[in-house]
Amino acid sequence: MKLVIDKVSKRYRGGNWALKGFSLELNPGVLGLLGPNGAGKTTLMSILATITRATEGTVTWNGTDVASDPDGLRAVLGFLPQDFGVYPNLNAVEFLEYLAAVKGLDSATSRRRIDELLNLVNLTDVRKRPLGGYSGGMKQRVGIAQALLNDPQLLIVDEPTAGLDPEERVRFRNLLSDLAGERIVILSTHIVSDVEATATDIELIAQGTLVAHASPEDLLRQVEGKVWEWVLPSAELNAAKQKYLISNTARRSDGVHARVLADTSPGGAQPVTPNLEDAYLFCLSHHRAGAAA
Amino acid sequence: MKHARVLYHMVRADFLERVRRYSFLLTLAFAAYLAWGSATGLIVLRLGEYRGIFNSAWLGSMMTLVSTLFVSLVGFYIVKNAILRDEQTRVGRILASTPMSRVFYTLAKALSNFAVLGLMVGVLASAALLMQFIRAEDTHYRLGTLLAPFLWVALPAMAIVAAVAVLFETLPVLRGGVGNVAFFFVWVTSLAVSDQKGVDDFAGFFVIARSMQEALKKVYPAYDNSFSLNIGDSAQITKRFVWTGVDWTSAIVLHRLLWVLVALAIAVVASLFFQRFDPARTWSFKRVKKSQAAAGANGDALAAVASRESRPSPGHLTPLGKTSNEARFSQLVVSELRLMLKGQRWWWYVVALGLLIASAVSPTTAARQGVLTAAWIWPVLVWSQMGARESRFATQALIFSSARTLNRQLPAVWAAGVLVAILTGGGYALRLLVNGDWHGLLAWFAGALFIPGLALALGVMSGTSKPFEAIYTVWWYLGPLNHAPGFDFAGSTAGASRPAFYLAFAAALIVVAYVGRRARLAYA
Repeated sequence: MKLVIDKVSKRYRGGNWALKGFSLELNPGVLGLLGPNGAGKTTLMSILATITRATEGTVTWNGTDVASDPDGLRAVLGFLPQDFGVYPNLNAVEFLEYLAAVKGLDSATSRRRIDELLNLVNLTDVRKRPLGGYSGGMKQRVGIAQALLNDPQLLIVDEPTAGLDPEERVRFRNLLSDLAGERIVILSTHIVSDVEATATDIELIAQGTLVAHASPEDLLRQVEGKVWEWVLPSAELNAAKQKYLISNTARRSDGVHARVLADTSPGGAQPVTPNLEDAYLFCLSHHRAGAAA
Repeated sequence: MKHARVLYHMVRADFLERVRRYSFLLTLAFAAYLAWGSATGLIVLRLGEYRGIFNSAWLGSMMTLVSTLFVSLVGFYIVKNAILRDEQTRVGRILASTPMSRVFYTLAKALSNFAVLGLMVGVLASAALLMQFIRAEDTHYRLGTLLAPFLWVALPAMAIVAAVAVLFETLPVLRGGVGNVAFFFVWVTSLAVSDQKGVDDFAGFFVIARSMQEALKKVYPAYDNSFSLNIGDSAQITKRFVWTGVDWTSAIVLHRLLWVLVALAIAVVASLFFQRFDPARTWSFKRVKKSQAAAGANGDALAAVASRESRPSPGHLTPLGKTSNEARFSQLVVSELRLMLKGQRWWWYVVALGLLIASAVSPTTAARQGVLTAAWIWPVLVWSQMGARESRFATQALIFSSARTLNRQLPAVWAAGVLVAILTGGGYALRLLVNGDWHGLLAWFAGALFIPGLALALGVMSGTSKPFEAIYTVWWYLGPLNHAPGFDFAGSTAGASRPAFYLAFAAALIVVAYVGRRARLAYA
């Protein structure tokens, strides 16, 4: 099971490049796709989900070019887009039955699968309610269920935890981890903690190009000894922000506790254990500095 | 002053958003086509065998009538999305949180609609001037005479259409397909009443027609008072006369301005029904009632699910393996059919069943000309979803990332549409079968294939249900209901139906739908 993205570029009308010469090889596991707004994450996902065609480059699934045989990939694909709709007059079961038929699942299999999926996403109690009355988070869970209908080998989820409450987010993270063993999962999100909890590999993407592709451990290693906790008076915070990259602040009785990313300790700050958010900001700031230079 | 500024910016923003869309080019193209049709004789204004010399008065009035007849109908469908667009873009929710009043909002939308329609009228006014120059039957250019009918007739008519479009959008029952179909009948009726009663209609036909008729009668007393604006019968015109235009008396002008006041009143009335994008009010009333009832009986189950005790570990998901069978095509057709019919109320099925039974037991002529005709307008809103549903409900990414969507799902949608045609009009087919009327049966069958083909092609190409709802209703009115030659797709005109043509047409429409859907997929 292998997905290969080779020098993929995408140019939209007006000459705007969303992706430029993007290459990557994916094997079973969870790939966390991180990047700022407009980085090209959703474009990459749309290309991999056969929704959008790349302007240049190829995507191959198990050695077959997706452009020549898109249905070969679609048959084993589960896709949860960032924005999607539902048919408001159908209930969850009817909607999933419909999509199961479109995906080519037979009745008996789809019935069993839908029961399991609704239980999995915690919607069994409201399975007979029209989707038009669902909250945003509940619709998102229907979206998760539909992505898993055909037991996909390639699961692409774009901002899957958007709108979910903390409890459901934890459930979904656990589900992703459980699913990861025998399939390729691509998880795009702004929520670094989601990636931290599930990803076996991380990809940082900015301005349509690959900034870093590494395991979470390797990324964290890059910022080892570069994260500091600095306690400073509130009045000095703005000046500190001008000078240093600050990933987080918290106000305490003794002043502001700022989490600073720097090669050396700023004014007596204490070293702290880096987290993935620190690594993400560090890599992005380096990329931006490099691009500006 | 402040109110005027707010209103100006609301109208301006809405107008700019519309005219910067590619679809607006189609709107202008339609206006240009009307102008071209009038210039080349495709669209003809004639009084029996007479027409006026192409002077400023005649051309201005002829183009005005073209505006009010065609733009008032097609324009309604073009502008009836002002509120919907704010809902779809979610801008409406931002507006609703501002101090903007409901009256301001509906007035602004009506004015924006009016600006779009006015632009179309402007294209036709320019064409009238150009036409006088090109045809050169009278080289005395009188700009005031040429533009007066646009000002006093066309623009008030557009004001009415603009306001009615807003009213339809604010009334829950008329904002969807029902409104699209209903408007056609309102429009036909309003013109017919004017024609028969001789009253000043909103489209201004009576004002112009009366002036032309009186002028012609003075020159040719034998003239029989006939008056028509038609497509493609210029050959019947053999004589010309000079008409110097309507005498715009203050009584006529006031009468026309009254229509502008009526338009303003309609826009104000629309504000009474406008719900400020309240999500609790915009969803179907039926559903709200149902869920309220359920919540009352069992407590709020939705809230219960949201607050249930923590179960963070996911349940078991059985791998599907390689043994699961692929769904049959028929299973997908049934799913599509179920999706089409879902949401219909019980009385919809009762009427459909009643028409089915009536078409089976009625005498053949009555079944052909009455019951079948009704049976095949009844599901218009079911068919109109075809091809447009994915776009309307934003499910493209889910459907189009599935395998063989072009070769399986699209034909399944069409097949489900054919099943709807067969189920609703099947009683008549049974009767033809019993009578051994094979030609009639073939015509019926062609109709059953043609209607879903038209729905699918228009739905796929436009991404909305509106074009089918408008075009099919007009086609049905002309063909099955009024037996206009060539328009009868249902075989309701004994001996005059054209099954071969409609079978071929159905096939062509399916190809159009296929090509259109293929163009929307990254990979076919």
